[in-house]
Amino acid sequence: MDWIDTLLIPAIKAIVVTFGLLLGFAYMTLAERKICARFQLRYGPNQAGPFGIFQPIADALKAIFKEEVVPEHVDKWLYVLCPVLAMVPAILAFAVIPVGRPFVLAGRTITLQLADINVGLLYPMAVAGLGAYGIVLGGWSSNNNYSLLGALRTTAQIISYELPMALSLVALVIVTGTLRMSGIVEYQAALPLIVLQPIGFLIYFICGLAETNRSPFDFPETENELISGYNTEYGGIKFALFFMAEYINMIVVSALVATLFLGGWQGPILPGWLWFFIKTAVMLFVFVWVRASLPRARYDKLMHFCWKFLTPLAVVNLLVTAAVVLILRG
Amino acid sequence: MAMTDYNMLLERLKAQFPGAIQGESEFRGETTLTVGADHLIPVCRFLRDDPDAQFNHLAFVTGVDYSALGREPRFAAVYQLYSLPYRRALRLKVPLAGENPTAPSVLDIWPGANWHEREAYDLIGIRFKGHPNLRRIMLPDEWVGHPLRKDYPLGGEPVAFTPTMDDPPLEGLGTQVLDPVSVPPVRPPEAQPHTLVINMGPQHPSTHGVLRVVMELDGETIVNAWPDIGHLHSGIEKTAEYKTYAQVLPYTDRMDYVAAMTNNMGYVLAVEKLLGVEIPPRAQILRAIMCELQRLAAHLVWVGTHCLDLSGTIHALLQYAFATREDIMNIFEMVSGARLTPSYIRIGGVARDVPPGFVPAVKRFLETFPKWHRDIARMLDKNPIWMSRVKGVGAITAEQAIGLGVTGPVLRSTGVAYDVRKYAPYSSYDLFDFDIPTGTNGDCYDRYLVRMEEMRQSVRIIQQAIAKLPEGPVQCDDRKIVFPPREELDSSMEALIHHFKLVTEGFHPPEGEVYACVEAPKGEIGYYIVSDGGPKPYRLKIRGPSFSNLQASSLMAKGHMFSDMVAIIGSIDITLGEVDR
Repeated sequence: MDWIDTLLIPAIKAIVVTFGLLLGFAYMTLAERKICARFQLRYGPNQAGPFGIFQPIADALKAIFKEEVVPEHVDKWLYVLCPVLAMVPAILAFAVIPVGRPFVLAGRTITLQLADINVGLLYPMAVAGLGAYGIVLGGWSSNNNYSLLGALRTTAQIISYELPMALSLVALVIVTGTLRMSGIVEYQAALPLIVLQPIGFLIYFICGLAETNRSPFDFPETENELISGYNTEYGGIKFALFFMAEYINMIVVSALVATLFLGGWQGPILPGWLWFFIKTAVMLFVFVWVRASLPRARYDKLMHFCWKFLTPLAVVNLLVTAAVVLILRG
Repeated sequence: MAMTDYNMLLERLKAQFPGAIQGESEFRGETTLTVGADHLIPVCRFLRDDPDAQFNHLAFVTGVDYSALGREPRFAAVYQLYSLPYRRALRLKVPLAGENPTAPSVLDIWPGANWHEREAYDLIGIRFKGHPNLRRIMLPDEWVGHPLRKDYPLGGEPVAFTPTMDDPPLEGLGTQVLDPVSVPPVRPPEAQPHTLVINMGPQHPSTHGVLRVVMELDGETIVNAWPDIGHLHSGIEKTAEYKTYAQVLPYTDRMDYVAAMTNNMGYVLAVEKLLGVEIPPRAQILRAIMCELQRLAAHLVWVGTHCLDLSGTIHALLQYAFATREDIMNIFEMVSGARLTPSYIRIGGVARDVPPGFVPAVKRFLETFPKWHRDIARMLDKNPIWMSRVKGVGAITAEQAIGLGVTGPVLRSTGVAYDVRKYAPYSSYDLFDFDIPTGTNGDCYDRYLVRMEEMRQSVRIIQQAIAKLPEGPVQCDDRKIVFPPREELDSSMEALIHHFKLVTEGFHPPEGEVYACVEAPKGEIGYYIVSDGGPKPYRLKIRGPSFSNLQASSLMAKGHMFSDMVAIIGSIDITLGEVDR
């Protein structure tokens, strides 16, 4: 153990992860706009550079240089703090995800993972849960009826999806026997867990849609009812931070699905990081696909669905998994 | 047979209420009874409840100011009734004397009279005794005067003709322009103390224009919803009094701008009824084709925006609907040169004959449209999320709907098969074989299914109409109504005179009053015209279907969630241009 291992390498990794996520966010917005445009028989952004590849940069510049407006009636401290509150946990959650095969450089084994902690599976759930505070308090501090309703919906939503989500992951832990991310990925060397845990995968993905406030569960936002809900009073870069949080959450959830159910960086022929990228991209595409083709549910229906259907289903899934594992291991 | 029943009914009415019926007139097959104001309520109650009468549908209430004709009494309140079981119409007129006339409110008999009476109060200044909420509906509360009175100048004030801007008379202008005032939010007095009052609109993405709905929420459950309209009021009825009959036509396009053809159709039918002209069969069938194409276009806009309201802006269905609507717009452009506001259906026929490419284009559209329609239906029909959003939401019963004057798909979704195309066929609709789809529950899902089925029926109608399209003229040959053909102008002095007269002053229909209605995509759109024999309508009252249908939204919304309000507004399918006129 020297300072290179403890300080330099993690610092480099942290910088790469942060900037990678920001870049991922930027191009996720472009990808979503392009893909949605194709769903909608349109072209999407195609003016800023070839295929619109500079569009995210133009958007970022616009957001940054917009005049900072803080409405008079808001709770100023919370109002300014909340975009950060939403944004930071989104990035933090990525820390435990292994993005590729460990490799050896100058005699050191470098894992492509910021922190391989032994409660790796709990960590993103805990951190992502914090992100909801940004939305709840953002809506509350905006002091606007629509934002308030959006914020309240978030609280209703979070108590609905977290339970089945956690239960679906418990079943996964029973199968793999470890909470460590790298261990879960290694377990899937032969067979991705989606084959062993198809129901767990579906439950996790549906809850992931709810966690990231994505259609059909985008209740805090609902531009058609609440006029953007919790972020109605936000503009410029503060709005962009909320936006960033949503997209980075999406990337994190997709990366988690890829890691936990689709085998992470495991895969033949191609390098590990590319497999990881492809699997994450496929999940992100599904996010957009769902958004372009499903109507929005109603927030009380999500609660009914989560409590009366997903939670029992997750419990049954857990019990069956436990029983099968018990029988197989004698 | 039916006619004698009708006469017997009128005899019974006169016998039962002696002295109530002050007069009876027939014009173009329409009966108008003049009823004394004191007897109005019992007469109306009799007309609604008597088993031989059953005038359960109140199309509109309005008023006429006769002061420009020098008649006494100055005002009359007009009630247009329709009996759904017997399929016959009746108009009641109540003469009202004095500068601030008062008529009894018929709100207890037909709840749908609510907004109509408010509108008559707002624009004509007739007070309705017994109306619980007689406020202005179109104009701001602090407005002075009643615009549809004849002594109220167009634009609110007389404008002197002056050659330059510096002349003194211009200085006094602009008194009708109200200063913008910031009004602090007012909590409706009816609202309970523990509820949240939220203001939806007039700038809101899901109110389809400038509708404002004040909602009282308990949590997210709607306790009360008060729609507030009038933000788009443009005084078309007043403007019409200053235009010749032909000049009014383009204004009708601009009311329900997603269904301009059917607006034209209703107006043109009313004027033709007034004139008593016959329209050649080719023009009639062309009109039917245009109206059905317009119905498809309007329903496509509806399904796209309805789904957009319930999904979010990224949902792809809006563009699917608009992609196929584009074909219809191209056909309209082909026949009229305009896409949204074609003004193609004209008094006396249609603007011009269709080009040779028209029939192939319609046939091509009829081939491609069912595929689009099927795609849309498959995306939504059985989609569990869609069903959970619209099924059981905003349900009303048939009695409630009829009482509120609701028409169109919203009424048919409750199981009442009232469709003007079947009840009083116009423009050759009796030649076609088509069904009127109805629902059972009267909820948003049934409205959705009814409209989707109506699109299939419209395709059937267009197919038959294209097959039956005869050759021949597309305008009537009455030179006093339609322009003579261009080539006649070179050779015929008489044609030149007709042309000159039509351009400079327009035609003179006989004195009288008519009401004609058609089945627009949103329901019964009707035009009530009072003619004094001059070239301009003395009074034009437009009965917009959205206006009456929107009244039902308060009833539909009660007890549902905030999110359901957008489903309800979307499923009523309103166009504010026609609600506010």
